[in-house]
Amino acid sequence: MNRRHPTQEAITFALLLAFGFLFLLPFLWMVSTSLKPLEETMKMPPEWIPSSFQWHNYPDAMRAMGPFWTFAGNSLLLAGLNVVGTVLSSAWVAYGFSRLDWKGRDACFFLLLMTMMIPFPVVMVPLYTLFRDLGWIGTMKPLWVPSFLAGAFNVFLLRQFFLTLPRDLSEAARIDGCSEFRIFWQVILPLAKPALLTVALFQFLATWNDFLGPLIFLARESHFTLALALQALQSTISGTPWHHLMAASTLVVAPVLVLFFFTQRTFIRGIATTGLK
Amino acid sequence: MNRAERRNFARAMLFVAPWVVGFLFLNLYPFLASVWYSLCDYSALSVPVFLGFQNYADLFRDPVFWKALSNTVLFALFAIPLGTALSIGLAVLLNQPVPGQGLFRTIFFLPSLVPAISLAILWQWMLNGPVGLVNMAVRPFLQAINAVAGTSLQAPDWLNDPNWALWGLVLTGLWGTGHAVVIYLAGLQEIPVELYEAAELDGTTPWQRFVHVTLPMLSPVIFFNVLMGIIGALQTFAVPYILTGGADGPGRSLLFLATYIYQHAFDYWNMGYASALALILFLVIVVLSFLAVKLGEKKVHYGGR
Amino acid sequence: MLLAGLLAALVGCAGGGDRDEKGKVVLEYWEKWTGHEKEAIARRVEAFNRSQDKIHVRMLTVSRIDQKMMLATAGGVPPDVVGLWAVNLPSYSENNALLPLDRLAAEFGISEGNYLPVIWKLCNYRGFLWSLPSTPSVVALHWNKDAFREAGLDPERPPRTLAELEEFNEKITRKNPDGSLERIGHMPQEPAWWMRDFPTWFGHPVWDGGNRMRMDDDACRKFFGWLESYPRRFDGPAMYKLRGAFGNFASPENPFFTGKVAMIMQGVWMDGFIKKFARPGFRYGVAPFPEPVEHPGAPLTVAETDILVIPAGAKHPRESMEFIAWLQRRENMEALCLEQKKISPLREVSADFLARHEHPYLRTFQELAASPRALPALTIPTFREFENDLSVYTNLVLLGRMEGEAARMEMSARQQKALDAKLNRWNRVAPVRTAEWRKEVGS
Repeated sequence: MNRRHPTQEAITFALLLAFGFLFLLPFLWMVSTSLKPLEETMKMPPEWIPSSFQWHNYPDAMRAMGPFWTFAGNSLLLAGLNVVGTVLSSAWVAYGFSRLDWKGRDACFFLLLMTMMIPFPVVMVPLYTLFRDLGWIGTMKPLWVPSFLAGAFNVFLLRQFFLTLPRDLSEAARIDGCSEFRIFWQVILPLAKPALLTVALFQFLATWNDFLGPLIFLARESHFTLALALQALQSTISGTPWHHLMAASTLVVAPVLVLFFFTQRTFIRGIATTGLK
Repeated sequence: MNRAERRNFARAMLFVAPWVVGFLFLNLYPFLASVWYSLCDYSALSVPVFLGFQNYADLFRDPVFWKALSNTVLFALFAIPLGTALSIGLAVLLNQPVPGQGLFRTIFFLPSLVPAISLAILWQWMLNGPVGLVNMAVRPFLQAINAVAGTSLQAPDWLNDPNWALWGLVLTGLWGTGHAVVIYLAGLQEIPVELYEAAELDGTTPWQRFVHVTLPMLSPVIFFNVLMGIIGALQTFAVPYILTGGADGPGRSLLFLATYIYQHAFDYWNMGYASALALILFLVIVVLSFLAVKLGEKKVHYGGR
Repeated sequence: MLLAGLLAALVGCAGGGDRDEKGKVVLEYWEKWTGHEKEAIARRVEAFNRSQDKIHVRMLTVSRIDQKMMLATAGGVPPDVVGLWAVNLPSYSENNALLPLDRLAAEFGISEGNYLPVIWKLCNYRGFLWSLPSTPSVVALHWNKDAFREAGLDPERPPRTLAELEEFNEKITRKNPDGSLERIGHMPQEPAWWMRDFPTWFGHPVWDGGNRMRMDDDACRKFFGWLESYPRRFDGPAMYKLRGAFGNFASPENPFFTGKVAMIMQGVWMDGFIKKFARPGFRYGVAPFPEPVEHPGAPLTVAETDILVIPAGAKHPRESMEFIAWLQRRENMEALCLEQKKISPLREVSADFLARHEHPYLRTFQELAASPRALPALTIPTFREFENDLSVYTNLVLLGRMEGEAARMEMSARQQKALDAKLNRWNRVAPVRTAEWRKEVGS
């Protein structure tokens, strides 16, 4: 691939430009609409630049959603708890599946892989009754406690990573009289930082974006997440105040994009490795 | 087991305990309970009443179930091949030595980060018939065709038209395909350059190299992504649910198995019927995944690794 | 550290007793209203709280309140009082989600005689009282006088029969050069809130109140025939395109205010929205929505009501009833209805209420509500299933994608089956359930 035609390169670049433009357009459209006065959202043909920037659409949309900062706080709290829960429990369990030898390990691991095939809609009704019987409906517990019980996919990922770490590390530590817990905590975890960071980021995203879980488990408006509050806004307003909806959508997307720009490298590497397994 | 083995086992159990608890309470119990509820009349507000296979019998005679099933499968059939082709295409473009590679990669990737709720609301607006951006782009083309061919093609009213709504959703999905682009790009970068050089010495065209080198070498990655795509597409819920404002879409064209399950469970409080639907969804996933794996065993090229 | 902090925050959230610092019982009251309707109920709640030394009502606005109420009740954590719609009663009571109120209501001196007959009927189901009204509604035709004048029609004369409505409709409707609609006289899908009740205008409701859907009877056939005539006359997709550009209901872009739809079926509250959002000088009229044949003296309307219920398993039914009963007193109810710009559900209306009400057509609405032909809205145990199907099939017919007869027959078969299933289930649990309810109400 070293001898390249300049024309071929130009075509490639032009195609990339075209597709890049197409992929960016919806974002621009969202932000543009969010800053327009209501009358202008329905104008034909549309203007890309609002005649006057309606910055107050943002506070207006936030007010229309209800206690915006409570919802944002809930989303953040849930995302935080889920990240902590998932990283700790998945690493802990993955350690048991990768760096310890025990009878039945492979059979159990196969079972774990199989559970990935069970979709959430299959278990949501019994989970709802289970959480009800535990007295958890009306609280936020259904949305974070389970994360402390190690999700299959994350265990799988971390196990693969732990397997790549040399066995001698553990042996040496054992000879030094380290307990298994200390080996996990002081030897393996520090080495697994990039993998843990990947798991943390994906879990953050998954929780922040989750919709079905909050929809069925949250019965109190004061526990709503941003995603659920945005859907409530969409469903209560009949008709189409698109400027408010776009402003609110932008507010829900923005934190994710900010997070991405700060962690781009980990993100891309994480996706590349998880997708190749 | 001797003492050492027992100690060993106990220690391992300490480590895997969280998963065991999770497996029992979040997978095994709910799954078995679903099976039981699917044989009952159940509303969560009263005790389940045993019905036998009534729910399943009803289900097979329920045209809406068949509609939801066919929508779900059709969506997977359209969205997965199109998404795969687009993301491989973009990845191949990105893999060329062009300026701004990292920037383009970021641009393609960003939409896949957008939460389903925002994605759906944004596309509801993009796909608006009279004033949506998509039709704004489509209209000039249609007018050109109309002028030349004398036809009277009109831009579809995407989300209000039973024939177009599903395609609107497919379009929405294509925008969020960047995740796969990143994966394929990484896969492409792992293909040894020597293979291309050898092929080039043989006087092959770029297309031949793509078909005979790139695709086979990339096939394990494609296989994995398609499998994950199937499992994901069959569970589609949030985007169509929000696009339609919690309804079924025109002519039920945006009703999916997952939305139908939700409707019966938490709208009609027919949880028995919902559970029967859920188990059918599970079966569909198992069967299609199994087929994909069988097909994969034949076609996927693992030799290069 | 971080984890401990987060956990502490959560525990903090989870706590919260049902008594305030002064020892008053705190009731959680969920309502659906927003805007000026919310402010009106909030002022009533405040007045109640001021009058009380034992109870404090805390009101919360909840979106999709019917679904959230079921989630919370089935989840074992119901609120104390919920503002629902009468159409929710059959399925919610049969699902065991509500507390029957007969005994409590009687203790507070509330009885049938206080209410408009149709409203009382709507609050009852299967022989039990499940709710008391908050604010009722009856529907009527609203017409845009300017649109009438522009079409060469007498702006002061509304259509008196359905045929006349359609005749006016065609005169008023205007098309753009490209064939799209600029204005339409009337279309059934705007606002579509009472689609389920249209068959009543053609002769009878779609359900006989027992175990039979009446979708194969005359009225329903005529209704679907009427729907089918729309895409033939106005081009189905064009109607939906017009609709796609409609603005928010509570905004100056409401299609009725902008003149995009000249005749709509609406309730008494519409005047409040018109005063707030329509351009100054917007002129409209209100009359009974026309039937195929004129019935002078006994106009037809469908009545519906917002209701207050106490969910099953709520912790303070007596205190909740005290609040509900307080709101039923004439002065409080009238204050609420006045501020929400609605009619009163009570049989006796004070002169003061009539005098202070700003609605120019209040008399029309009061007459409709008191009419012997004010029929209760469709309240059917399969309400959600019916609504869902109705929106799918009417949409297909109005688009011109399905023949009216075919849609009606398909829907009829489906809905009869859904009703059968519901009733089967009900019949199995009915003896136990009604015994429980009887015990609850002490009869």
